[in-house]
Amino acid sequence: MRTDDLIAQLSDGLEPVKSGAVARLLLGAIMLGILGSIALMLAVLGLRYDFTTAITSFGMWTKLVYAFAIAAFGFWLVERAGRPGAEMTRPLLLLALPLLAIALLSVLQMSSASQADMPGLVLGHSSRVCAPLVFLTAIPTLIATLWALKRLAPTRLTTAGAIAGLFAGGAGAFVYSFHCTEGAAPFIAIWYTLGIVVTTAAGALLGPRMLRW
Amino acid sequence: MIAQEAQYRDWMLAALMGDAGAYRMLLSGLTRHLRSYFARRLDSGAAEDAVQETLIAIHARRATYDPSLPFTAWVYGIARYKLIDEFRRAKRRPTVPLEDAGELFGHDEAQEAIARRDVTKLLDKLSPAKRALVKDIKLDGVSVAEAAQRTGLSESAVKVTVHRAIKSLGEDLKEEDLKGRGGDADR
Repeated sequence: MRTDDLIAQLSDGLEPVKSGAVARLLLGAIMLGILGSIALMLAVLGLRYDFTTAITSFGMWTKLVYAFAIAAFGFWLVERAGRPGAEMTRPLLLLALPLLAIALLSVLQMSSASQADMPGLVLGHSSRVCAPLVFLTAIPTLIATLWALKRLAPTRLTTAGAIAGLFAGGAGAFVYSFHCTEGAAPFIAIWYTLGIVVTTAAGALLGPRMLRW
Repeated sequence: MIAQEAQYRDWMLAALMGDAGAYRMLLSGLTRHLRSYFARRLDSGAAEDAVQETLIAIHARRATYDPSLPFTAWVYGIARYKLIDEFRRAKRRPTVPLEDAGELFGHDEAQEAIARRDVTKLLDKLSPAKRALVKDIKLDGVSVAEAAQRTGLSESAVKVTVHRAIKSLGEDLKEEDLKGRGGDADR
């Protein structure tokens, strides 16, 4: 086809674009993904047995706020990653805030703990399974995020995949918090973060395969 | 800021509201830049395919343009992505330096056609033998040794001939430039 004919064809049937189309697509897909993650957590892992008392505990809120902050900046980055030419520096820099906050809180908790309590703060009782389970919980959200991102216009696929993984990791960690009974900041800083990093890496690997358009 | 930004952005915003006329002008304008961008990076058949692929991608993904961001950067992002895609298809190593949108909008095919025409016109002033030598060595990248073999001249003779030819062309250009300015003053 001649390029001129193509231009005529494309402009002839031009439909207006509804504003907020990108946000609706992303939000819809991500909601479904998170519902999937919640269902997976409830079905496979189960809600923590002491949920009703734990929901008011400091440890629970440490996890929730930390994971939510990462997911929120992650979502911002996902939206950017789907738009060619969009700057990502600012949300990437802001991502340092939750990391710094959890590191600071860890140092505070460790400095006021006795020598004997140290291993408990760092390793808890589930350090071996924490990161893999965060990743497992994140998988439905990761798939939904990649699905939505592919329908936008990601132009750097590895980066975009990693960003989808970062967001899904944050969301997965948030959902996993409702199963896990740990609450010490050092534990969260190490093992939750590791789970998020693993999900980010999985996204980076999947990006070039799943995001081509 | 890229010179065409404001105009193209206006057309794009109108097109997003459904203005087909603005959209057509936008796509035609972009095509000139895209042709030149891909022509400098792909061979001619693949280049026109890439132009069309990019136009289709711009159309299909137009909802991802955020009006608070530069439009030219958005188009450049898509063009670069399509270039990488083309390299991947041709099994070339898909690394493309991340430049900025100026790389796309700094050129268009009209300017390049003028530049090509100017060079050809200039070369016509040389004798056919000299013209062939200058064209081979300066435009087509033939080595001096090869040119010497082809023409039967010695390598140093080839170098001297090309050097003198370029120098005389330079003087012609200078003269024309002076004449041109004189002409302006007369008017």
